[in-house]
Amino acid sequence: MAENVQHAIAQKKDEPAGANEWEPKIIGFLCNWCSYAGADLCGVSRYQYPTNVRAVRVMCSTRISPHIVLELFTAGADGILVGGCHLNDCHYITGNFYTEKRLRLMKKLLEDAGIEPQRLRLEWVSASEGEKFSKIVTEFTEQVKKLGPSKVKKDAALKTRASAADGASQTFRLRALVGKELGLEKTGNVYGQKLDQTELEKLIDAATKDEFERSLILELSKQKARSVKELGQIMDVPTDKVLRHIVVLRQKNMIAMEHPDGLTPTYKAIEIGGEQ
Amino acid sequence: MTKDVMVIGGGIAGIQAALDLADKGMIVHLVEKTPSIGGRMAQLDKTFPTNDCSICILAPKMADCFSHPNTNVITYAEVVGVEGKVGSFKVKVLKKARYVDETKCTGCGECLEKCPSKVPSEFEMGLSNRKAIYMPFMQAVPRVMTIDKEHCTMITKGKCGNCKKACKREAIDYEMKDKILELEVGAIVVATGFDSWDPSSATEYGYGRYPNVFTALEYERMINAAGPTHGHIERRSDKKRPIKMAFIQCVGSRNPQVGHPYCCSVCCMHSTKESMLAREHHDDMESTIFYKDMRACAKGFWEYIERAKRDYGVRYVNSDATVQENAETHNPIVVYDVGGRQQSEEFDMVVLATTLVPRKETLELAKVLGLKADEFGFLESSERILEFGKTVVPGIYLAGYAAGPADIPESVAQGSSAAAKAVEAIVQAGG
Amino acid sequence: MADTIKVDPKDKPRIGVFVCHCGTNIGGFVDVKSVAEYAKTLPDVIYATDNLYTCAEDGLVSIREGIRKHNLNRIIVASCTPRTHAPLFQATCESAGLNKYLFTFVNIREHCSWVHMKEREKGTTKARDLIRMGVARARLLIPQEEQRVDVEPSGVVIGGGVAGMTAALSLADMGFPVHLVEREAELGGFVKNLNNLYVTEKSATDTIKPLIEKTKAHKNVKLHLGSQMKSVEGFIGNYEIVIGAKGAEDIKAKVGTIIVATGALEYVPEGLYGYNQYPNVVTLTEFEILCKKKALPKMKNVAIIQCAGSRGQVKTYCSRVCCNVAIKNAINIVDNYDNMLGLAEQLGTVIEKVPVEQKVPEEIIERRRRRRGRERGEEGEADEVKLGPSEKIEVTVFNRDIMAYGVEHELTYNKAREKRVKFVRYTTDHLPRVYMEGNQLTVGYFHETLKLERTMPVDMVILSTPLVAQPDAGDLSQMLKVPLGQEGFFLEAHVKLRPVDFATDGIFVCGTCRGPADITEAVTQASAAASRAAIPMAKGYVQAEALTSVVDENKCSGCGTCIQVCPYGALRKSEKGLAEVIVAACKGCGCCGATCPEGAITMTNYTDAQLLAEAKAALQEEV
Ligand SMILES: Cc1cc2nc3c(=O)[nH]c(=O)nc-3n(C[C@H](O)[C@H](O)[C@H](O)COP(=O)(O)OP(=O)(O)OC[C@H]3O[C@@H](n4cnc5c(N)ncnc54)[C@H](O)[C@@H]3O)c2cc1C
Ligand SMILES: Cc1cc2nc3c(=O)[nH]c(=O)nc-3n(C[C@H](O)[C@H](O)[C@H](O)COP(=O)(O)OP(=O)(O)OC[C@H]3O[C@@H](n4cnc5c(N)ncnc54)[C@H](O)[C@@H]3O)c2cc1C
Ligand code: SF4
Ligand code: SF4
Ligand code: SF4
Ligand code: SF4
Ligand code: SF4
Ligand code: FES
Repeated sequence: MAENVQHAIAQKKDEPAGANEWEPKIIGFLCNWCSYAGADLCGVSRYQYPTNVRAVRVMCSTRISPHIVLELFTAGADGILVGGCHLNDCHYITGNFYTEKRLRLMKKLLEDAGIEPQRLRLEWVSASEGEKFSKIVTEFTEQVKKLGPSKVKKDAALKTRASAADGASQTFRLRALVGKELGLEKTGNVYGQKLDQTELEKLIDAATKDEFERSLILELSKQKARSVKELGQIMDVPTDKVLRHIVVLRQKNMIAMEHPDGLTPTYKAIEIGGEQ
Repeated sequence: MTKDVMVIGGGIAGIQAALDLADKGMIVHLVEKTPSIGGRMAQLDKTFPTNDCSICILAPKMADCFSHPNTNVITYAEVVGVEGKVGSFKVKVLKKARYVDETKCTGCGECLEKCPSKVPSEFEMGLSNRKAIYMPFMQAVPRVMTIDKEHCTMITKGKCGNCKKACKREAIDYEMKDKILELEVGAIVVATGFDSWDPSSATEYGYGRYPNVFTALEYERMINAAGPTHGHIERRSDKKRPIKMAFIQCVGSRNPQVGHPYCCSVCCMHSTKESMLAREHHDDMESTIFYKDMRACAKGFWEYIERAKRDYGVRYVNSDATVQENAETHNPIVVYDVGGRQQSEEFDMVVLATTLVPRKETLELAKVLGLKADEFGFLESSERILEFGKTVVPGIYLAGYAAGPADIPESVAQGSSAAAKAVEAIVQAGG
Repeated sequence: MADTIKVDPKDKPRIGVFVCHCGTNIGGFVDVKSVAEYAKTLPDVIYATDNLYTCAEDGLVSIREGIRKHNLNRIIVASCTPRTHAPLFQATCESAGLNKYLFTFVNIREHCSWVHMKEREKGTTKARDLIRMGVARARLLIPQEEQRVDVEPSGVVIGGGVAGMTAALSLADMGFPVHLVEREAELGGFVKNLNNLYVTEKSATDTIKPLIEKTKAHKNVKLHLGSQMKSVEGFIGNYEIVIGAKGAEDIKAKVGTIIVATGALEYVPEGLYGYNQYPNVVTLTEFEILCKKKALPKMKNVAIIQCAGSRGQVKTYCSRVCCNVAIKNAINIVDNYDNMLGLAEQLGTVIEKVPVEQKVPEEIIERRRRRRGRERGEEGEADEVKLGPSEKIEVTVFNRDIMAYGVEHELTYNKAREKRVKFVRYTTDHLPRVYMEGNQLTVGYFHETLKLERTMPVDMVILSTPLVAQPDAGDLSQMLKVPLGQEGFFLEAHVKLRPVDFATDGIFVCGTCRGPADITEAVTQASAAASRAAIPMAKGYVQAEALTSVVDENKCSGCGTCIQVCPYGALRKSEKGLAEVIVAACKGCGCCGATCPEGAITMTNYTDAQLLAEAKAALQEEV
């Protein structure tokens, strides 16, 4: 400890130049038992790292639902770091296995939305890996700096897509799939009915794409009533596919058809009870 | 009559016993000899057979144990006298002066920088230095400093006083005196753990003579990210990272000549773990384990060995082994035999699985408490088969390595078991 | 303790912020005064100040006074880490009458001043951000009650072997009534089969007799012999159990905790090393029964083969006890054979050959039948056996590694070698072979040092086979909703630190049903399990930190996903078919909340709204 302290103090005076350059805002969700403890040890050992990460302590990384992450990206976060215990070390036994699965879904949704998935990072940090924590933060900050400021704030279309991804992350289908994913894989092992992981992932990816597109239709038609063609153009999705989504959404009573000019039907999202 | 219990030794076995008792509503006095609880487990990097990080799982227990409303953790203290019997032991505890007021010190560390006196750190197995004012490790509990009076020049010569100047909390008191506490308890749990035998005297292994020969505990500190080399495996001779590692088993143990004919039970497993960790640190590291019998016989242990062979490329050689050195490169040379033919092979580093022995002070303690120890210094149970942990003194129970070789899960189970026995005794004595 | 301050969630938050210098630890690297000034500008912050050491008594006093003077109803301390200091500040709030869940910790030391020692300005900005985040969270906090669930101070132990009896007696001696359920007609478990016990020379039956007697006589132990668990419902502290015996009425009881001690069986090495194919090939247990019955055949050469079916051959694991049991028996043979045979001769029970299964002694057939789950008969007592060495008999132990761990086993292993017991190592590349050379039982093996095939005529082959899980362990596992591990043994909550707990609170495990162990280890685990079980019973209640999940019944569709993901069995279906939290069992990890497809689960004190507010405050440009 003492040596690190002396080292840090010796360098204390030279503030880095260019204090006005853009600094990314990164949220770090750290689990109480390992990664937060690792960050604490990092502090105790005086390993220095850039000031960009703002840590939010959670009991377990498994608490971080896709919705939380996607809502924050929609709100303009430049980067999000999720820290957990190493696999098999989770204080809650299996928590971080779910975290891993959920992170995959989040990245997929970010990709669909057009946000660089590299802005989201999952790391396992143990309570003795103080130095590792500082390295991760340093590296990740560099990476986010390279990606530049989140474009969500300036690009309204991107923001809509981000909201759509957030919406998709809250759909029953995706959450149920990810919730059951681990169980299916495991059950496969125990009862011999092997459910291949890659097969399962394919299934989830396809579902993710569908749900994202539907969610985007809803977002876009929330703004104003739109025709299938218009939606297809904005979304860059073939109209027949848009139509199929609309059929599903209508069945679920989530979208209504209107005929403003009596010819081309347009669609408007049905909003219930306003914002939650 | 009292329902309070004393636990002697704050390693994992003692911590478990204390927590089990405190959670049942009993008041527990935990007496720990060193400045912090945690014991050997705090020094380990990862733990077999699941390789989870040792301090990650231990630190929360240490904190719980310290802050529990029913515990009174007395560190830097020893038991020096006992009278009475089950239900009412009168215990004298020597609380050594730590020259730092535990109620004032916040563990901020400002005093450290100012202290000029460097001492090899016991916790780091001497691989790095600490100051004369120190906290044995960063997660120490309690988080307070201790002044080692032998190395503090203010105490030895009346010169310095830097730490006192640095401390804004006025926590430092060079005049502090040892104190005797008198406590009454209904039962006592003894969990004083083990030491690692110093293999210097067994010259065939070259420890102390050949720089690149290490003990397993040294290696555990070295691969620990918070350890003296920040987790880098380094040769003593040139600070280079080794690639070829040799682990030698039963160094001093299963060897009547050096007085340890017994088996330490845990080293076959810890060397396997240490080999796996080497590979986890660097893909190119290759480990060879020289062993007599691969004693991996608790739950999941044999599977662990299979995994080490299959996934981590650990090589097992069934042979005794001794060490020589290539004087030029300081590469240790391991001499062993296969099918009766002698072989020798050069390595970059050798790690010795040295005998684990009961702590010397445990014998003193046994005298104070009236307990029996076997010829090696392990504390003896009065009824070996059905009541392991019960001693010749009703109301005094054993747990952990002090009662014979035990790994962490066994130490924990024994800690809980001793707690149950203590409660039974107190209830039966009418408490 | 001051009067409790009533805080209605609808009341406007009145936040107090205490920023700590921690000597120069924070103050030296962050402009603490300006940070405290900044805090005053944040919404709902009524009071903000800086302290040299907030955790010192004067700092704590300033918090208490702040609460009183300014009617504060949310407290924020910005200092070190919640992992060590949260309990202190929470207790301070409570002592001033403020619910501890209205306290927020902001870490500006480990996560700020100590890691940005060279960047005072940026570090100060970050400290401001962190406090802004804390304020955003604090505004949404509401007081929480920690829920208590009463615990019935009685238990049930399943299995009446040495482990089960020890666990039951330990609980009974601590003063708790306990039901002991044993499916056989007698207590004692596997040890009843054994001849003598290692390390001592005492007979197995004599050793456990006092334990059995004490168990039967204890006023707190209610014995249920010939009985099994029929059903278990409930959760920690509140289990409704039904115990059933053949031909008798079911017994219903309420217990607080459950200990599983159902033991293990010996593997039957069908198809290995000529077992059930050639006469005089027996398992270790069968050999012990023969010794006990004094019905040994005449023999001069004995081979014991270790790891018959274990360590990858059939089962993956090492069975831990068989090496030392083999050594025990090898010593018995060289020491006692003459006597045993002599006694057998006197008793007229010498058998020429131990025949294959069809012709084995009653005792063994009986035992095998029992092992397959049928009823059993009575058993005779063993007589005193006098010791005396034999010059004639040769014992060879074929082994892979000898697991003579610890002090006594290793010393006994050495003793066996001194007594001329031979130990020959084999590897899995060259397994020993057992075959008939004409009428002669023979062992063929590979001499590893000489690299030669060898043969050895023998009179008897003893196979050291592993302990295996009870074939019906799965039923119990399902009834109790606790997991089995790979080879069918019960799986503990944490391999190292919770060796006798199940992840589900209130249920514990000990003895060979959790994996191979000898008697000493089994009974140590048993009293450990009793210690763990006694904790909630001694307290009389369990209190869950208010960090649990809460199901919104209006949103829940009863899909059951949450029940699947919870590692602690803390969720179940309610009568309405919806998810219901067992607060006493929930550990607050939040997995169910992040999973629930309907978004029906929130976490007390860690709601989405709180987390999002905290995180979003970080994104805000400074005000
Ligand atoms: C290199 C190495 C690696 C290991 N790796 C593993 C592993 O991966 N997994 C595993 O399960 N096990 C491992 N072990 C074994 C493990 O360390 C022990 O099982 C465990 O630490 C025993 O705990 P204990 O509490 O009995 O003793 P200790 O940890 O020795 O604790 C005893 C405590 O008592 C205190 N004390 C001593 N004398 C007195 C006295 N007179 N008065 C007051 N206090 C006293 C000591 O200061 C100490 O704090 C390893 C051991 C070694 C050497
Ligand atoms: C050949 C051999 C020799 C051995 N020699 C020694 C030795 O010398 N020294 C030594 O220390 N150890 C020895 N052992 C190990 C020893 O037998 C075990 O450690 C011991 O039996 C474990 O006790 P237990 O109570 O856990 O299980 P068990 O003895 O198996 O008892 C479990 C009990 O639970 C009952 N049960 C099972 N399922 C249910 C259910 N569903 N409901 C109700 N009841 C149920 C069973 O009927 C049984 O009575 C030996 C083992 C073998 C195989
Ligand atoms: S003695 Fe003083 S300076 Fe040293 S750690 Fe304790 S409070 Fe800080
Ligand atoms: S555990 Fe292994 S290395 Fe240690 S003494 Fe026993 S046989 Fe030797
Ligand atoms: S015979 Fe020995 S090595 Fe083999 S499974 Fe049994 S205890 Fe393990
Ligand atoms: S996962 Fe959600 S919807 Fe499904 S049962 Fe649980 S709480 Fe209800
Ligand atoms: S928070 Fe965790 S422990 Fe609690 S019910 Fe949900 S999944 Fe189970
Ligand atoms: S507690 Fe760290 S990931 Fe679950």
